[in-house]
Amino acid sequence: MSTQSIDLPLGNYQVQQQQADKKQKLAKPATPVSTLLKSASSLLVKHSFLSFAGLIMVFPFVWMLSGSMKSNDEIFSNPLNIFPEQFRWQTFVETFESAPFGLYIMNSFTVAFFTTLIVMINSAMFAYAITQLKFKSRTVLYFIVMACYMLPGAVTYIPSYITLANLGLLDSHTGLIISNAASVFGVFYLRQVFLKVHPSLIEAARIDGAGEVKILWAIVLPQCKAALATLFLITFITNYNSYMWPSLLITSQDLNLIATGIRQFFIAEGNYGLNWSQIMAASTIAVMPLLILFIICQKTILSGIADNGVKE
Amino acid sequence: MKINSHIMSEKLKVLLFIAPLLIPLLAFWIVPFGWSIYISFTDWDYISPEYSYVGFENYQYMIEDSYFTEALYNTFVFSLGVVIPTVMLGLGFALLLHKNFRGSQLYRAVIFSPWITPTVAVSIVWSWVFETKSGLVNLLLAKVGIAPIAWLESGDTAMTVVIVVTVWQAVGWTMLFFISALNKIPTSLYEASLIDGCSPLTRFIKITLPLISPTTFFLIIVNMINSVQAFDQFQILTQGGPSGSTRTLLYLFYQQAFEQYDMGPAAATSLIILAITGVLTLINTEMGKRWIYY
Repeated sequence: MSTQSIDLPLGNYQVQQQQADKKQKLAKPATPVSTLLKSASSLLVKHSFLSFAGLIMVFPFVWMLSGSMKSNDEIFSNPLNIFPEQFRWQTFVETFESAPFGLYIMNSFTVAFFTTLIVMINSAMFAYAITQLKFKSRTVLYFIVMACYMLPGAVTYIPSYITLANLGLLDSHTGLIISNAASVFGVFYLRQVFLKVHPSLIEAARIDGAGEVKILWAIVLPQCKAALATLFLITFITNYNSYMWPSLLITSQDLNLIATGIRQFFIAEGNYGLNWSQIMAASTIAVMPLLILFIICQKTILSGIADNGVKE
Repeated sequence: MKINSHIMSEKLKVLLFIAPLLIPLLAFWIVPFGWSIYISFTDWDYISPEYSYVGFENYQYMIEDSYFTEALYNTFVFSLGVVIPTVMLGLGFALLLHKNFRGSQLYRAVIFSPWITPTVAVSIVWSWVFETKSGLVNLLLAKVGIAPIAWLESGDTAMTVVIVVTVWQAVGWTMLFFISALNKIPTSLYEASLIDGCSPLTRFIKITLPLISPTTFFLIIVNMINSVQAFDQFQILTQGGPSGSTRTLLYLFYQQAFEQYDMGPAAATSLIILAITGVLTLINTEMGKRWIYY
């Protein structure tokens, strides 16, 4: 009984509302339909424009895949086919046989992984020191690090090369890792993030007698997991893709990173028969691991950049 | 005595936290910087142990050197050629994509994806697209009856190709920063303008543009710094050629240092690059201080 008495007025109200809607529609039917059409058409324009732009952005990848699946004969006879007459997976087998791409990818992964690991640790410690520890020179220290931000790699290459030569670390992954072990971006990014950690949390931990390392590890870091993930991915990707400095340091073929390896392959294959099908297969091998990584982690990367933005 | 040891242990603690970063930073950034300045005043050739001090000769030579002035000009053309379309396209995409709607995440991911991939690998793909005989662009032009263009082999077009590749890679990153800035604009401002009956265009010029101007400025400078330091795509697509038409300052540095082993002039060139990025960074920080609307 009581439920009905509640339902009834509501029902009445709905009916009234519907009737009112009908009346309105009858009164001036043109407005809602035309705005609907207008917004639908503007939506259509927007989506078709974005789809077109998106297609252009991914087209090089599509073209690369398509080229790698075609035979060189087909590239010559039917150059404009996007879908090959038959998918030739064979090209990939041949490409893997003609240069050690598996090894190059492993090398890139190892170097990028260890560099990133070191960068995460030392940037976190440094950022913690300049945000949470009290000492006189911390502002000066921060400015020195930030000043290095405008230092182009080129300025440091010649002396760093000599230093590594003196240490006997030219043409080695260790040399590559230690020379990339300081990341100004890492400090800049983590400082911004650590400043947002609530000071009372750290104070409370100090009163409980926790050591600074423990505070960093058990209190600060767990608070910024998302930012740490973004920094990890960005540092990893940058190091995985880096080319100029590794190309100067690494001379042994079996130590090549993927970027230097693929360039050697390009020069060797490109200058003779213009073996585009295998060159595209090699590019695919270089690009695919990162595209897959991006598809898996796109949310972390995109929102990590978009949310933290620029300003501090 | 007790207080003293306490201070000591505090200092030690700070040192423990900053040393892991400071050691590689000193060894591979700060010391090399000073060292480069020193080398730029010598005629060292890397191989022989002897070298002599030449004062400002390397810098004086630079002004007369047509390679240097040409490289400076090319760097300028390349930077502007990259920055203007990148920022405009990045803003355009951000305006279309900063609000969430069905598919917006996918579009963002697609536009951003080139940034993820190794420049060397994708430049190789582009070098095929712009290849004279069998490249896609010329094949498509042939369909419309336009004679093939030697994109990468002619001085007039080679730079354009490198710019296209660079913009393609940079635009998604720029878009993300614009999205972040656009989403920080308080909606109340837009509501007020709706009540006042502003047209979308006036709203864009009077509200959106001024409010995102710090980000726009930041992105212009950062994209400029990045293009001054671009190397990978040049090495794959043009190697500085044809006949120096795409030789930027960084490429000139690379050739001086690691092809000709003229370490003195190379170090001097690298310091000019530093001067350019340094000035751009300083402008950026100064303007950043002045232009904070939110």
